[in-house]
Order: sequence, then C-alpha cells, then structure tokens
Amino acid sequence: MNPLNDSVRLGSLQWQTRRHFLQNCSLGLAGMWLGSQANSVHGEAAKPGDAAPMLAPHFPPKAKRVIFLHMAGGPSQLELFDYKPDLQQLDGKDTPASFLEGKRFAFIQGVPKMLGPQFPFAQHGESGAWVSDRLPHFQSVVDKVCFVKSMHTTQFNHAPAQLLLHTGSQNLGSASFGAWTMYGLGSENQNLPGFVVLVSGGKTPSAGKSVWGSGFLPSVHQGVQCRSKGDPVLYLSNPEGVSRIQRRRALDTLAKLNRETFEQTGDAEVLTRISQYEMAFRMQTSATEAFDLSQETADVHAMYGTKPGEESFANNCLLARRLAERDVRFIQLFHWGWDSHGAGANEAINKGFHDRCREVDQPMTALLKDLDQRGLLEDTLVVWGGEFGRTPMRENRGGREMKLIGRDHNPGAFTMWFAGGGIKPGVSIGHTDDIGYEAVENKVSPHDLHATLQHLLGIDHHKLTYMSQGLPQRLSNVTQPSRIVTDMFA
Amino acid sequence: MVRLFFSLRTGARPWLIAGSTVQITSMVLLGCLCLNSFESQSTRAAEPATANGQSSGGEESPVDFNSQIRPILVANCTSCHGGVKQAGDVSFIYPEQVLPPDGWIVEPGDPEASILIERITTDDADIRMPPPDEHPDPLSPEDIELLRRWIAEGAQWQSMWALTPLGLASSPAELKTKHSAESKWGTQPLDQIVLASLQAKNLTPSEEAPAEQWLRRASFDLIGMPPSEDQLTEFLSKLESVSLTSEKEAVYAAEVDMMLAESHFGERWASVWMDLARYADSMGFEKDPHRDMWPYRDWLIQAFNADMPYDEFTIKQLAGDLLEDATAGDWIATAFHRNTQTNTEGGTDDEEFRIAALIDRVNTTWTVWQASTFGCVQCHSHPYDPIEHDEYYASLAMFNDTMDVDLPDEYPTIRVPNDRSQLEHAIDVQRRAEELRHQRNAVGWNVAHAANWQSLTPASFKTTDGKLKQVDNQIVTDGGTFPPGTKYTVELDLEDLQTQLGEQPLSAMKLDILPLSDDPAQWPEQGSVLSELTAEWIDAEGNATPVAWAGVIADAITGSTDPDDALRGNASGAGEYPKLTGPRQTVFVMRDPSSWESLNEKSIKTLRLTMRQSHSTTGNLATPIRRLEWFATTEVEANQLLESDQWKQLTDSLAQARKEASQVKGPKLPIVFNRPAEAARETRVFVRGNWMERGEKVDPAIPVAFTQGTSVRPSDVNSRLELAQWLVSNDNPLTPRVWANRVWAQLFGIGLVETQEDFGSSGLQPTHPQLLDHLALRLRDEHRWHLKPFLRELVLSSTYRQTHHVSEELQQADPRNQWLARGPRTRLTAEMVRDQALAVSGLLTEQIGGPSVMPPQPNGVWQTVYSGASWKTATGPERYRRALYTYWRRTSPYPSFLTFDSPTRDLCAPRRIATNTPLQALVTLNDPVYAECGKALVEQTATDETQGTSTPIESQIARMFLLVTQSQPTEWELHELKALYDDLDETSGVPQDDGKLNVDQNALAIVASTILNLDKALTK
Repeated sequence: MNPLNDSVRLGSLQWQTRRHFLQNCSLGLAGMWLGSQANSVHGEAAKPGDAAPMLAPHFPPKAKRVIFLHMAGGPSQLELFDYKPDLQQLDGKDTPASFLEGKRFAFIQGVPKMLGPQFPFAQHGESGAWVSDRLPHFQSVVDKVCFVKSMHTTQFNHAPAQLLLHTGSQNLGSASFGAWTMYGLGSENQNLPGFVVLVSGGKTPSAGKSVWGSGFLPSVHQGVQCRSKGDPVLYLSNPEGVSRIQRRRALDTLAKLNRETFEQTGDAEVLTRISQYEMAFRMQTSATEAFDLSQETADVHAMYGTKPGEESFANNCLLARRLAERDVRFIQLFHWGWDSHGAGANEAINKGFHDRCREVDQPMTALLKDLDQRGLLEDTLVVWGGEFGRTPMRENRGGREMKLIGRDHNPGAFTMWFAGGGIKPGVSIGHTDDIGYEAVENKVSPHDLHATLQHLLGIDHHKLTYMSQGLPQRLSNVTQPSRIVTDMFA
Repeated sequence: MVRLFFSLRTGARPWLIAGSTVQITSMVLLGCLCLNSFESQSTRAAEPATANGQSSGGEESPVDFNSQIRPILVANCTSCHGGVKQAGDVSFIYPEQVLPPDGWIVEPGDPEASILIERITTDDADIRMPPPDEHPDPLSPEDIELLRRWIAEGAQWQSMWALTPLGLASSPAELKTKHSAESKWGTQPLDQIVLASLQAKNLTPSEEAPAEQWLRRASFDLIGMPPSEDQLTEFLSKLESVSLTSEKEAVYAAEVDMMLAESHFGERWASVWMDLARYADSMGFEKDPHRDMWPYRDWLIQAFNADMPYDEFTIKQLAGDLLEDATAGDWIATAFHRNTQTNTEGGTDDEEFRIAALIDRVNTTWTVWQASTFGCVQCHSHPYDPIEHDEYYASLAMFNDTMDVDLPDEYPTIRVPNDRSQLEHAIDVQRRAEELRHQRNAVGWNVAHAANWQSLTPASFKTTDGKLKQVDNQIVTDGGTFPPGTKYTVELDLEDLQTQLGEQPLSAMKLDILPLSDDPAQWPEQGSVLSELTAEWIDAEGNATPVAWAGVIADAITGSTDPDDALRGNASGAGEYPKLTGPRQTVFVMRDPSSWESLNEKSIKTLRLTMRQSHSTTGNLATPIRRLEWFATTEVEANQLLESDQWKQLTDSLAQARKEASQVKGPKLPIVFNRPAEAARETRVFVRGNWMERGEKVDPAIPVAFTQGTSVRPSDVNSRLELAQWLVSNDNPLTPRVWANRVWAQLFGIGLVETQEDFGSSGLQPTHPQLLDHLALRLRDEHRWHLKPFLRELVLSSTYRQTHHVSEELQQADPRNQWLARGPRTRLTAEMVRDQALAVSGLLTEQIGGPSVMPPQPNGVWQTVYSGASWKTATGPERYRRALYTYWRRTSPYPSFLTFDSPTRDLCAPRRIATNTPLQALVTLNDPVYAECGKALVEQTATDETQGTSTPIESQIARMFLLVTQSQPTEWELHELKALYDDLDETSGVPQDDGKLNVDQNALAIVASTILNLDKALTK
C-alpha cells in the first residue's frame, strides 16, 4: 500500500463499493465506521451489514482480538514474577557504585540501599513458573501464560513510558496500538465501537487519553472510553423525556428528510450520515446490553469477584470477556495504582501494593479461565504489564530513608505476560541480571513487542504505515529496528 | 537483503558490468529502517488530484519534472537512493548525483544511453530496478515512457515545486487552455483559472447557488456561525429589490463586508489558528496542570479582527520579544511557542522536556509556515527532500536560547492585567523590572569579573552528607548521597590568604560552580545551587565573627531567582537549575573589607565558608554542587560600585519597578525571551536524534534548499527574528502558498494542495498550481497579507458561489470536488456544530474573550493522576459560550469536540480530516448540551405570534427549520416534521376552553432535535 495516499483514500473510500473496496485495498485503509456508505452511492440505503468493514490482514492471523491489561504505574517485577534470591543477600547494603553510574532515576539520589524481594516466591504449575504469594489465584493459570521477564524501555517517567508502550513514541502525538489495529483491521462488530477502553483505580493513566488516542491517524480510530458507571459509552442514553420508541420515530423522519436532501444535492455523504444514525441507534441497545453485567450468573460473579455497578478492575475484566464475545477488536483495561515508591500508604510495597495485587489477582485469573472455557482464548491475545519495572534499590526520596518501603522506576527491566491468540503457553522468555535490575538475555523493547503482537494479528509491522511528518509512521517506530520475538509464538 | 541500484562506479564513464551487483545486509546499510515500508506505488495524488500530466490526446506538452518525474522517483527510488540511504552512493534527491558532469545515471537527450532506463527496463532480474525480490512489478510502461521522454527532452531538473518562485509554477497544460477561456463566467480573476481547468476537462461550472445556500456557507466560513434570521431576511429582500447584476454584486459584497466586520470573525479564524498553535489551557503530561494561556487566544481574536497582516502576525508570534520597543501585544504573541508542553511529573529530567519543547517549536514553525516535514530531519537527512541532518540543528539553534526550562512555574511569564485599559503600562512595568534585574547584574558583572582573581587552596573541607575530595584547588564530590540540605564547610587559612593576596585586604570572593565534565558536549548536567553562603572569621578560640556582604553578582541571570538569594536563606541562590549549562561564576562582595592587621589583632586564624544547598527540583531531587573552586581578590572596584550612587539608583529603580509589577493582577501568561548573551546555549547535533548523544556544534542557519534562487545565504538567517522576517519576505514563496492553501481549504474543505501539512516531495501536488500561485500573489502582494480582503475575494468568486448540487456523473468523476465544478458542501467543524446549536436556540453568550469556560460534560471524564483539578460545570452565561472558549485540557479534551474530529492539540495539527460516525450522532442527539439547545429552540420560536401558515405548530416547525438551515422547508418536509410531531404528541389534540391548542413541548423538542440533526444542519 502507499502511505502517501492514505488521506486521499480515506476520502475516496466514501465512493467505493464494498466489493471494489475489498478487492483493491489491503491494509491501511481507514476502517471502523467508514465503509458503511458502501454500495449506497446511487442505490438503496446502506445495509447494516456493510458498516465498518473488516479489512484483510497481511497474512493469516493467530489472534483476532486483543485484551490489553495495563497496570499503570509500573508494578514491581521483583515482588511478583522475577524471583531474585541473590537480591535478598544484598538487602540493606549500600548500592555498589557500578549500579549507579550513568543511570537516571526519578527519585533515588546518591547511594541508596539495596532491597530484597519482599514476599516469598514458589514455583507453580507444570511449567514451574515462579510467582510470589501475592497472586494466589494467578498461580493456578501459569501454564496458560508466557512470561517475558526481559522487557525494557528507554523511559523512566510514567507519561513518556506509557506513551512509548502504547503508541511507539515517548512524545505525544502518535497513534495507539489499538488505533493502529483499527486502522489496519477494522471492526468486526457493527454495533459497538471496535476499540474499547475501560479504566479502574480511580485515575486515568498518567499520559491521559493519548495512550488510546489516534494521534496522527484519523480520529475515527481512537479508543472509545467506556464506563462501568453511567452510560457505558458517552451520550449513549436518550435525553430525559425521549423514549426509545420516540427516538425511533424521530430517526425515521430524520432519515426520510436526509434522503430527500440526498435527492436534492446528490451528495452521497448524506447517505453515510443516515446509516451512521442507524448504527448509533443500534449501538444504544447493543452497548447497553453488552455492558449489562446483571445478565451474568452468580457463578460467574463469584469467579471474577464482581459487583455490578462498581467501577472496578474485576467488573472491567468481566466486561472485557463480554466484549470479546461480541467481537470487539481491541479491549484495553487500565488499572491505576502500581507506582510503589513508598511515598504513601496507598502505594507502598508493604501497604497499597497488597491491595493492588488483591484487586487484580482473582479477576485476571478468572478472565483467562473464562476465555479458555468459552473457546475464546484461542484467538484472543491477552497482554498484561506496566510501563516499566522497579529498581532493586529501595527508594530514598530526598536522599533520606523513608518510613514505608518502596522502589523507584526502573526502565531496565520489567515483566509482562501474554496468553492466548498464538502465544506459547507455559514458558518464560528472557532473563534479567541476578538482581533483576537489567534485562540481559532475549531483551524485548516496546517496539519489539509492537512488531510481535502485530504479527500475531496478521499485520506486517513494516507495512502498516501512515504518512505523517514526512515519514511513513508505524507503531513499531521508524527510527529503530524492531524484531519479532518468535520465541513467544506457539 | 537490499540490492543497490548502482554498485560500481567505473571511472568517469561508468559502465555497469552485468552481474556485479553487490549484496549487503540491510542492517549494515541502514541504521534506520524508516524507509523499508515505503512501498513502490505511485505517490501522485489519486486521480482527481493530478491536474498535471493529463493524458490528453494529440500534441503532448513537455514533461514537467516536478509533477511527473519527481513523483516516480519518490515512489520507486528514493527509499533506497534518497537522503537517509544513498545505496551505491546514488541519490535521486540531488541533481548533481544524477546528471552530468558529476552524475552518471542520466544522459540528457539520450534515453537509451542512460543507465536509468537500462536498469528499469532490463529483463535481467539481477540488475533490474527496483529489485524484483522486493518489488515484483517493474515500473509501469507509462512511467518508463515518461522517464524516456523527460530524458529525450533534455532531462530538465527543477527544485521542489513549492520552492520555485511564485507565478512560474503553472503547468503547461493550463497555460495552453487559458486563452481559450472566453466565457463571461466568473466574478474574480481566480474564476478564470478554475474555468480554464474545467474546460480542459470538458466540464462547465455549476449554476449559482441559491442566495440562502451561499449565505449559510459564507457565514460559517467567515464567522463560524449561521446567519441570523434577520440577516437572512434582509439579505433576501435586498436581493429582491435589485435587478442589475452590478447591484446584485453590490448586495453580496456588502453582506460579506458586514460579516468581515463582525467580531465573531476573529473567533472563527482564531480557532483555525489554535489547531496550528496547539493551543490548550493546560501544561500537558501527567499532572497536566492549569496554564493561563487564554490571553494569547484573545490576542489571536483581536489580531484577526483587526486584520493584522500575516507578516506582522508571523513576526510577533515568532519573535515579538526581539522587536524594538515591543508592545504589550508583541509580548503576548510570543506565547505562541509557549503552547509547548511542560512536564511537571515528579522526577523527570527537565532538560529532556525542554528539548522536547524546543523540537516541537522547530517542527511547528516549519509545518505552519513552510508545510515542510522537518521533523524527520531530527534523526537523519530528509528521506525525499534536500535537507541535511545538521541543517535541522542549525534551525534549532535559533530557538535554543530561550529562558524557559520545563519548570512548573513556567518562567518566564507575564501578568496580563485584568483591567485591559492598563495593558501597555502593566506589561511595560513588568518588562522594566525584568530588564533592570538583568541590567543591574550586568553592570556589576562588568566590573567584578575584571578583577584579578586568585584561586584559593582550601585548608580543610567537610560535608554533612556524601563524600568530597580535593583535586588541585577544586573540591569535587566523591560518592555518596547529597540530599537537599547538604552543607559543605570550607576553611581557608588566614596566613595563606594573606601570603597569597599581599598587602591589600581581601575585598571579594568568587565561587565557580563547575560541571563535573570538562567536555561541553556532555553539558548540561544536573543543576547545582548554593542556597546560602555563610562566611565567618574564626579566631584561635573558635569564636566566629560573621563577614558582612555588600551584595552578590552573577555572570548572568538565567532564571527567576536572584544572585542575592544566596544570602537570604531561601532555597535558591548561586549556580543554576534545573540544569547546570556550563561553568557558572558568582561574586560575593564584602562590605567594609577588614585589614589583615585588624584580623590579626583579633587572632583570626581561619575564614570559614558554610555552603548550604537546600534547593531541589520536582521530585525532591537535590541540586548539589559537584565541583567548585573559590577565588579571592583585593581589588575594590566592585566594592566601590556597590557603594556608588549609580548602584543605588539601579537598586532603587529595580525595587520600584518590582513593586509596581507586583501590583499587576491578572492571568500569568508564559512568554518567550532569550537568555543573556553571556549564558547563551551551545547547539549541537543530536546524533541520530538522540538528545543525550551530542555531536558537532552548529551555528544558526536555515537549510540551503530554501535559499536557492535567492540572494539569501543560509547563515544570514540566524535568529528567531531573522527567521520570522525571512519567512514573510519575498524570498520565500512557500509562506504565501501555504497560508493561501490553508485558507482555501477552510472554505472548500480540501486544499489545492491536499496535504496542507506537507508541500514537499512526500506530499501531494497541487491540483491547480497556477491558481495556488495566483492566490499566493494576491494574498501577499495585492492584499499586502491582509486576510479579510483575500477572503472577500474568495467568497465572492463564482467558483465559491456555485451550487453544491451535484450530478451523478460529476459525483462519480470528481467525488471530492477537487476540480471545482460545483460549490463546496462540507461538514461543520466541531466548533461550528456547537456554535450553531447555541446561536439558533438563542442561548449563545456573545461575549468575546476571557478565561476559558467549562460547559457541561459527562461526569467522570476528568480523572487525572496526581492532580486536584476538577471540571466545575458553568452555570449562567458561561455555560453558553462559543466552542473556542471551552476549557482545553490536553490529557482530557472536551469529548464531543474530539468526536467531531478536533485534534487533541498535543502537537501542531495542520489538517483536520472530517469523518462521519455514529458517535457523532450520539453527541448531537443525546448530549444534554444539544438537548438543552433543542428545548431552547422550541421556546424561542414559541414566543412569537404565529403568522402565515396553516397551523401554529406547523409555523413554529417551519421557523425552527429556517433558523437552523436558512432554508424554508418544502411542503413535504414540513408535512413530515408535522407528522412526527403529531405522532409524538401526547396531548388530546382537542383545543382548550379558550380555543387555544395544547402544545406538547416535549414532542416539539424532539422535532427541534431532529431538525438540529438534519444533514442540512450539520453541513455548510
């Protein structure tokens, strides 16, 4: 495809028949909502099925959809998955100068003390994966999971690191993974947004909505933040005093009048508008239904630990499964609160960190089991992780020992895990050094991750590009080579 | 594997030996893989966009390099033979590498002797270009034929079309047809050009739009809102009363003049510029705190309303601070480049984000004024355009000396007085205070630095935290932690001092705060600040007598704090933060220097210097002094100066100015101005764009490619002011082209160059090159850069006044109306959607300017980390302000605007692409804002006595329809809407006792909402 003409295509797309569209255009044509006008230029109104075409991938995909569980703030790999007995030996000792030279920290100053793992670890499952005692539920599903212990990034502050992980650039303005996926593959569900974002933990991620934004891509590809409280999609409910029947009646008139406008003007964009209003009407029911957790059985609620009406990670996990069932392409969950500096009780490793683990352990385990039971895990790629890891040193904010225990940001090493959609289960990829400070073997950067995950979706990361700022931009970043981590593939 | 186009150069007459292609791995060749994905298909615009190169039968025009040849090269060749990658030392960007005498790829006049043709036509898969393994299809026969013809015609190379002088870029095809245009169609010269190109396609213009269609279109385009009912009525009745064409033209012209004079004009065009300026009311990144940016937005509104010429408008925004006798407005305008983001997240490297802002300024400047994709040159030479890597940094050097350093206080700022009548005075006193601060210190430094300074050897030193060591006379950190509050104690032996300094008493001391590295390429380092210096004479018993200081003078003032702070006990003081840009010197001048005799009499043995370092940057990060050296002098010029009347006067004036400045109340606007020349920053190339890896030093200049054909030398343009002046000078054809194109795109929905952001090789060609140049020349020379007369010309043109109705054939032939055979019909912008709803429902608050407001948005949209900011929904008139006044928080922009394609304004957004989505339908159907407008529309139309039509309800519906769309509903439309009302009506339908009909307000509100959601309502 030719990145130069994307915008031309975006526009001319409006005029192509669906058949022509699918024949002539591979990836990179605008997706989500734009195909609906399709065969309607001079004929009958668009058929519902024509809306939001699914576009062809570059090669057969292993995963059809993604559930990305982002742990905002950077969970400590050293307290969860990356077991480092040697670090225990160094606990309380001054950090050797060699660990500090040339490093940039967010808060650590001078010579901090080393900090051993704070929780006991044990091996679990047939794969013998190391997991700490903070995740008792998760221990039971480790054989479904591929751990990557050798994640590393270049950014040591939240907003830039989140941007890098989710958009391929530490600066604002690039398109998110989900937006790229929509741009490349389009939507399979005509009645729900194809890229849904759910946030818990009381905060949006540090980088704000840009982590699910469309950046330089057309805005249709941006993630739609849905909520477990209030309207799941903004402005979904009719205003007060307007019933669904009344709305239907009004839309009928609207469609009639708009059709007349089309007859008067010949402007085919009018027909698109008619079909988008119809889709909005359908979305009102389908989104409401999709977000209605009360439809789930008591067993399912017990499994996830969900309480309908709450804004929680558990509810969002269950919603993620419901959305996956409805073929939503990209479902992204953000759970805030993993920034364990030890500066406050709500985040310290010996305080708030316990709560974070409890909040995610059961639901994420349930999600994996549930997807598996329903046969969805096979083609659903599940991704878990934060934007960076944490230091093997104890944070000494202001150069002083702090009351609570915490670790500073560490771009050198963090752990992510993956499951489903073409991922090899029951393995651990890559290693960090003996204290979990730096990834040393089979290192995986965010850009490597982008290339790898896009591959599973059937996308050649070199070929899915969009022209912006004079470059054919891509998720995996144009300025540095990125590699596909084939070790992760089943 | 990547195969090279030409692998060998065999002497002056290169001859390719078959099978000699060398294969090397892509990794060796490429550190950067930018171009791998650049697939080889045509880079020319989709069919309608290629105005040039029409394959018209009969006599062929000469091949045009820019419109016909360059696109083939860019699509097929430059990804390997370009600026980043020059495989086989061949680049198709630079003519000297292609054409004789140095180039050897093309033999002008002789296609068959040209290696280019040989290599693209050969059947030998080993040598064919582009390489068959990656590009299975060879160049198309048409492309090959074009290249042949181009060579046969002499292989004329052209600079990039956008850089050629204005007026000379017209395509041969258009010139030819121009003279055959004899129709009377057209009110403006531009119409003749459009007509000529239509005739070349055997098309005729559409008929003129009905007056109300034109009025709606022009009103949105000029003032961003629909015409009022009265305006419409008056306009139509004026038209009815005239019969002559000239009279009719006068009515149209008067209508335009009236709209151009409205203050809503400035609002509409400011909102266009705000996308380019990446305007927001917050600083960005994690906490995304509030920023008082709105005075800049108000400046824009005023500038557009006053029709400030674009050259002035440009210079003020880019370099208002450097103008002689800068006015208050000039200072406010510089906030343009303070719309960059400030990262206040704890523990960030402030230099990293200062640089991010700097790069943003460079990229934004080149995007806005030159539509040049300069950003990619940050990492390597431009892949398709002749711009070299270091030229990026030469441009960056012009912006690198500004005072701002990514600190949360956003220094430098200026308070814009709430009382606007005080504007000039208020800005003036603040600037005076700032200038006096610098001036006073500079006067002191001139004297102080000239003294004979003797380096001192410390007798002893110690620290409360961390470890120190001595290297020669310098004290250097030697490991450990230096938290905020660390104190160094340095002792100097009196005997040694006396021996070294001689007879005269010690009169002043100088502290050099030094970077750890001596290599300037490693600077800047983490900040180093001496918060408080205490000096004491210590006698034999250990008793201390404090040394009194007359004052402190620094080599330069580079922030909001003062050298004297080092004596005041607050956290700031001598040195520099958040970064130490290089060695910094501070002089401490003694009050009443003590003679050696008097000191000896008191058995003083030691001078003890206690150096407290309490300062920290965000995240409580300490700024310890890592290397220092003390000096002393006996010269007394500085002491005398500080005692002098001159000094007292300076000090008094400064105090007075500060006092006055502190009395200015109003928003604190971030502005731009430069560091003092003494503390100028060096600019170095960032190797591969990595700011931590600094290479060669570069001097400010503009890229050579932009000076070709002019008398300007690149280094002539070496400051922000010169850059701004050059941009709007007659030496720069891009600026008027780019601005004329943007304005055109606002009106016609699509630019003559569709890629408004990219006029380079990777962008699209103009559909009407001659028209673009015509408009650029009209704008710059005829209208002297004034926007209003230019817009007047556009909206009065016959091209613009065509009806937007389109036939099936034309729709299919030119779906996006790039040929201009009909009038534009485009969706309203996000701002217009809101403003229309408020205006037609009578809710709009007409106030111009002021702080940004928070109209209703759904609960829970703002949930931001580490920030207490909250959305306080406006009540009263603030609730109904125009869209451009809506509070714009970068991390969480107003959701309904985003749905209607507003950019987030994180970066300069040079083009919005209008989409058509179901989420938009949800906004205008369900957002309580629009529900409220619907109800208000009902109320406002209900108040009037009904007249004319058959029933009151119908009449009210008709009036709502007219208010929203400016057209009368047809009988059928009215019937349908009335039927909707009847179906929804829950009243009995039986008249009340007094004979009046019951009206179901709710049903009417649904009808109103339906009207507001009509396609006619959402388009202009």
